[in-house]
Amino acid sequence: MVQMATPRGKWIGARVKRVEDPRFLTGDARYVADLMLPRMVHAAFVRSPYGHARIKGIDASAALAAPGVIAVLTHADVASVPPLQDPIALDGLKKTPQTVLASDKVRFVGEPVAVVIAEDRYLAEDAAELVQVDYEPLPAVTDAEAAMAEGAPLLFEDLGSNVVYDQTYRFGDPDSAFQQADRTFKKRLHTNRFMASPMETRGCIGQYDRGLGELTFWSSTQMPHMLRLSLAGFLGIPEQKIRVITPEVGGGFGQKMTLYPEEVVVAFLARHLQRPVKWIEDRRENLMSATHAKEQIIELEAAVKNDGTLLGLRATCIGDGGGYSFNTASALVEPQAAALMMPGLYRVANYEARVVAVVTNKTPVGAFRAVGWTAGHTARELFFDEIARELGMDPVEFRRKNMIHEDELPYTTCSGQVYDSGSYVKSLDLALQTVGYDELRARQAELRAQGRYLGIGISPYVEPTAWGSEIALQVGFPFPSHDNARVSIEPSGKVTVAVTTHSHGQGHETTLAQVAADILGVDLADVTVVFGDTAATPWGMGTYASRSAVIGGGAVTLAAQEVREKILKIAGRMLEADPADLVLADGKVSVQGSPDRSVTLAEVAVSSYFVNSVRAEGEDPTLTATRFYDPKATYSNGCIVVVAEVDPETGQVRLDRVVSVEDCGTVLNPMIVDGQIHGAVAQGIGGTLYEHLVYDDQGQLLTGTFMDYLLPTATEVPPIQVEHLETPSPVTVQGIKGMGEGGLMASPAAVAGAVLDALAPFTPKVEELPLSPERILRAIGTITD
Amino acid sequence: MKRAIALTINGVRVEAEVEPRKTLADFIREDAELTGTKLGCEHGVCGACTVLLNGEAVRSCLIFAVQADGAEIMTVEGLAQNGQFHKLQQAFWENHALQCGFCTPGFLMSSYALLQENPNPTEDEIREGLSGNICRCTGYQGIVAAVKSVAGSAE
Amino acid sequence: MEPARRCSRGVGMAGMVPAEGGLPVKPPSFEYFAPTTLDEAVALLAQHGDEAKVAAGGQSLVPMLNLRLARPAALVDLNRVTGLDYVRAENGHVVIGALARQRAVERSADVAARQPLIAAAIRLIGHPAVRNRGTVVGSLAHADPAAELPAVAVALGAEMVVTGPNGERVVAADDFFVSYLTVDLAPGEVLKEARFPALPPRTGWSIVEVARRFGDFALAGAVATLTLDDQGAASDVRVALFGVADRPVRVPEAEQVLRGERPDDDRIAAAAEAARAALVDPPSDVHASAAYRRHVAGVLVGRALREARERAQASG
Repeated sequence: MVQMATPRGKWIGARVKRVEDPRFLTGDARYVADLMLPRMVHAAFVRSPYGHARIKGIDASAALAAPGVIAVLTHADVASVPPLQDPIALDGLKKTPQTVLASDKVRFVGEPVAVVIAEDRYLAEDAAELVQVDYEPLPAVTDAEAAMAEGAPLLFEDLGSNVVYDQTYRFGDPDSAFQQADRTFKKRLHTNRFMASPMETRGCIGQYDRGLGELTFWSSTQMPHMLRLSLAGFLGIPEQKIRVITPEVGGGFGQKMTLYPEEVVVAFLARHLQRPVKWIEDRRENLMSATHAKEQIIELEAAVKNDGTLLGLRATCIGDGGGYSFNTASALVEPQAAALMMPGLYRVANYEARVVAVVTNKTPVGAFRAVGWTAGHTARELFFDEIARELGMDPVEFRRKNMIHEDELPYTTCSGQVYDSGSYVKSLDLALQTVGYDELRARQAELRAQGRYLGIGISPYVEPTAWGSEIALQVGFPFPSHDNARVSIEPSGKVTVAVTTHSHGQGHETTLAQVAADILGVDLADVTVVFGDTAATPWGMGTYASRSAVIGGGAVTLAAQEVREKILKIAGRMLEADPADLVLADGKVSVQGSPDRSVTLAEVAVSSYFVNSVRAEGEDPTLTATRFYDPKATYSNGCIVVVAEVDPETGQVRLDRVVSVEDCGTVLNPMIVDGQIHGAVAQGIGGTLYEHLVYDDQGQLLTGTFMDYLLPTATEVPPIQVEHLETPSPVTVQGIKGMGEGGLMASPAAVAGAVLDALAPFTPKVEELPLSPERILRAIGTITD
Repeated sequence: MKRAIALTINGVRVEAEVEPRKTLADFIREDAELTGTKLGCEHGVCGACTVLLNGEAVRSCLIFAVQADGAEIMTVEGLAQNGQFHKLQQAFWENHALQCGFCTPGFLMSSYALLQENPNPTEDEIREGLSGNICRCTGYQGIVAAVKSVAGSAE
Repeated sequence: MEPARRCSRGVGMAGMVPAEGGLPVKPPSFEYFAPTTLDEAVALLAQHGDEAKVAAGGQSLVPMLNLRLARPAALVDLNRVTGLDYVRAENGHVVIGALARQRAVERSADVAARQPLIAAAIRLIGHPAVRNRGTVVGSLAHADPAAELPAVAVALGAEMVVTGPNGERVVAADDFFVSYLTVDLAPGEVLKEARFPALPPRTGWSIVEVARRFGDFALAGAVATLTLDDQGAASDVRVALFGVADRPVRVPEAEQVLRGERPDDDRIAAAAEAARAALVDPPSDVHASAAYRRHVAGVLVGRALREARERAQASG
């Protein structure tokens, strides 16, 4: 149990403008595409046009002869680089190694096959068209269930199957629960494949110094140290000789937390060519070959009493993993996460989950905000709405009956999650109150009488956050997870905070500065947060899975507290006072009760660095502390309500408003929390109504540009109102919980729920997403052919 | 074969020899070395490349630099004057209208153009006027709030 | 331009990775010409024939160049030709020159007064930045079957003024739109002007569409005009659909139901049903199937006719 050792100061919890914004507003912020190095050359990848094919040969002679071309590489040239493979150690998980350039086979359209290096990108693209690859097309399989069936084309012949994982977990006694049930229900939902699509695509620059044997690598990545570790392993360069620098990163959402073959190839090329090599992914490449997400086939069964009490659940989660069980978290990343969080914030004592991960001839699937949870939560909530309707119960009452109430917390679920604290029912109540639920139901009835269809979708959620080792295990991914922070006072008295988490939009330069400023009693402007350069920061795991507020904030808190102790010791000697009697605030240390007896932090710092007599033997002159943090599991929660109107003649949906109640414990900066929710909800709207990566049965991606992959714009996203509750975590430093993914976990169910609620008089049946206008008309039987 | 062109960007004359196929976006970023203008899709949908050409908002990835010979261009770098933020930049800052910042230059230029034409837009007009710019981080709430806060103030 | 399998609106992009295996966003090389007179432009187009493309607004063409779906050897840029950017009322028509930008036409006082349907159609096109550069005539020449302006041209019976090496000729809209992205323009010819008949008195109009997002190409759309006689019956009815075939189509089956009759709700519903039934083979793509387009076309014809009727009745 961690004490909140420091009382809240003026910065934590304040709605502070972000200190990093000015450079973005003036166009001075530099992303990897903006970096120019002398003698730099440009890469363009040649990619497979087939979903499944053997490579018989590659002739690069025409490309090599093209203007401005410096080199063309294929697998033969990079054969010394080991293949990429996921590191997840779970019994029964088969491995699917991926060479960085395709060797004998290609398994998805877009798989990198060769790389062309030229003086500029225009010339590289010209030459890429001239690379002749002799393919022997093979039958492709693009549906997970078809891939599981006997006789399906095999992506990896030596595995003998396209199933890389198939395990069933049993918690409690599901069979008895189903036997004792008054009613049982079933539901199937095939969730749509969609993706992170950050506005900045992937990109990297490699530069190798032969004399020093050093590689400098700039990449738009979420995990600089992990990338460094990987590059060291793959290229045989000692880690200490690799420096990874992230410039600004234009959005990641999990897509940039993974290692990509293109990054390894670019690093290899930098060493090979002795010139800086730049690769900036274009949007077509991103849509086609950066990791996809979210597609699962989920089948649920529920055992229920007549009064609506849930007795048990069964789930089958089939993850459609794409062409490789991808190297970061494997093809399990979706179905495992979905299965283990299926009970959600409901009281379920008996639960059986079958988790299946399958490879198919589509782009590999990786993590994307609320990975696995989006699909699982959507399926479960829509299922519960259907059950409630069948039982003649209000869907809100069904949920209230089965939700874990606040007085039951902490609560250990049957599948092993320990919910430390939360406000599940309170959030639901606040969301309904904020949206004016009763008035809305009345309005719904009025509008129906006029032939208009308004609906309300309600989606309460619990969100695993902070991704320390304990929670990683609880949600199905055993992998150690920790990070650290180094806080130091410069001789000038200014504060430097070096962290290993990494901002790609979340405002860490501000929020982590707020934490340090409060503990060290300085102004926000006197704190600089440094991240994103492995030469300037301690080793850490980066930002993903909503870690940074807790782990970054926690590590900064612990380190800053230690530095605070050091400051007070030195100041105590300077003021001839007991450190316990000193107050540190407003950049000064003063004696409690005698404010004129004070020294500035700058004076303390200068003395510490340069005046030996203020230090005892062995004391650190540099007022620096590095502390690591691996938090206990902590869970945020909230509730999202969506109001929508549907045109039953055209299937068009107009979202009226969204209300989001969020409880993420101690809040560092409510403005940033709001921003995270807005963005996650917008992505949920996209993933429910608009975004869909569609393949034909030969594995051709039919939605390969922004004309067909439809991201929501300002006219599709309605006003989103956020209300905050604050239940501090009892198990983390300062009671901070993570947040940021709940919006994408829970808003699809609320959006889809609102559409289905609007159309309730037509008794719609939905087993597939997204809810395009056509799917909506089919769901209500307007179109049948 | 390259052509010699000259444009004025943010009041500064820029000359270069370019192939006709070089886009205005690439010219701004490489020849004028103004990297504030971003490339998000290069097929005219996302709006990250938005600049003003002779006072009108355009997608610079859909114009060839040779077509802009002799034109006046304004990019995000030209918004602030004498070290002072334009009120739109200030409003974006105050309203948390940016997170990763990649779409921000495009949104600033589109908002600037919107307000030039329609100094007092309604919220619907703001949303429609900005529907040609895509943001993946903010859900547009802060952006709309920022433009609203500037709407109606004299310029 | 090589034929492209129709996959999505606008640009025809099934099978996104070309056999060459690149995923380009930088255009291929081309010879570039910026003539200052229309005659020069015509001469250049005649010289290069099929290997040349005209650039005006570029909002449809340049994406295709960047994605390397079009590879003209020569680009003839009309933007330096003066005197083509007019939009004005003339002889009972609104005439629009090749370089008149969509934005300018949208805001034109003559259009507002004489043929507001054109402005309404433009407001459904893309986004402000697209309309600042895009031209009305360019949209007509590009002939995307899901575009609004070609359907307005067909509904109103507009005339296309084509100029080429053999001089000038006038083509009726019905004849101009031949097929998917294909119009009646021979090598060397360029569409110089479009002439839209002005709205007659006591005529209401409407353009409605279903699109996935605001400003996207339509999945289907309907244009209608309705002229009322002194008895309140429809003396003239025009209905056109877009997005439901390889070009915009007039729907005489729907017009017949209303011609000479009072356009009450039942008759309009019957006209809508006739439109739906007349649709033989609407396209299917990732966004909507033929069945959806057929159904929605009927719905939109009904809505367009009702709105046109309201406007006609309001116009006294």
